Amino acid sequence: MTSQIDAQETELLQTRLSARLAALLGEQVSALPHDITERLRVSREQAVVRARIARRHAETASASTVVALPGGLAVFGGPSAWWQRMANVLPLLVLVAGLLLIEHWTAREQVLAAADIDTVLLSDDLPPGAYADPGFAEFLKSPPP
Amino acid sequence: MATDKELSDFLKSVEKRAFKRTVYAVRGDDAALDIVQDAMIRLAEKYVDRPAAELPLIFQRILSNATMDWFRRQKVRNAVMTNLSDFEGSDEQGDFDLLETLEAVEGTLGTESASDTVSRSQILALIDGQVAELPARQREAFLLRYWEEFDVAETAALMGCSEGSVKTHCSRAVHALAKALRAKGITP
Repeated sequence: MTSQIDAQETELLQTRLSARLAALLGEQVSALPHDITERLRVSREQAVVRARIARRHAETASASTVVALPGGLAVFGGPSAWWQRMANVLPLLVLVAGLLLIEHWTAREQVLAAADIDTVLLSDDLPPGAYADPGFAEFLKSPPP
Repeated sequence: MATDKELSDFLKSVEKRAFKRTVYAVRGDDAALDIVQDAMIRLAEKYVDRPAAELPLIFQRILSNATMDWFRRQKVRNAVMTNLSDFEGSDEQGDFDLLETLEAVEGTLGTESASDTVSRSQILALIDGQVAELPARQREAFLLRYWEEFDVAETAALMGCSEGSVKTHCSRAVHALAKALRAKGITP
């Protein structure tokens, strides 16, 4: 019982001394140099400005998800969301269409080139079968007399 | 949601103590100012939607994290851990009388007319120095509990330890301060 009372008294004394020391520390802190208090003031003002900006961004974000209609109705999503989705998908659609167009154009160019070759071969005096003849190949390789 | 004025008033009420506490931890005015500014901006940007009543605890947590981030950046974590060695310190609480020290402090500084300005400022500087010399955890517990006036549970939550540890840290800090002040000649 006595030791419990002693412990309580010690705790009380400790609290009183701590409070006194803390008050003295507070007294010392209140006399900080001017340059430090000024820097703290500037930091505080910057923080308030940042808070204002953050608050505005939060309000803007929440407003963009709720679109008020002229008739007084409010819907989540709405035209802006639809256009945003389209804006995301549209470049992809354009890219795919472009690739298909390029493939079609390349194939057409190849067909036309082959047709030109066939036309030249068929309209020449030399019959096409001559190109497959081994004797004709040797004639082409041999130097002119 | 805290208004601009509430936020500004809150920061104004804590900024000097936050600065001083950080100076105790990092031992440098410039670094402490940077850390306090960082903590203020983190609070403003991330927790502006919280009610004003919640700001003190959140700010102290942010300030502690910002200080730890600074130590990580400085790569001096080992030095911090050394300061945490107070867990292993010996218990020297019974060596002197707390009441005597309390009476001495109050006798020396209690009345305005009893001491001149110079000696008063010297004694304040002495107390300041002794607080700075405390082991980090003891100092943090002491300052959060008695300077920032958080209760034991809040201090424990901020420090990430048990309420019993907070009481132990505070007790050791007060006894160490009292002993140091007596050793420096603050006697009745």
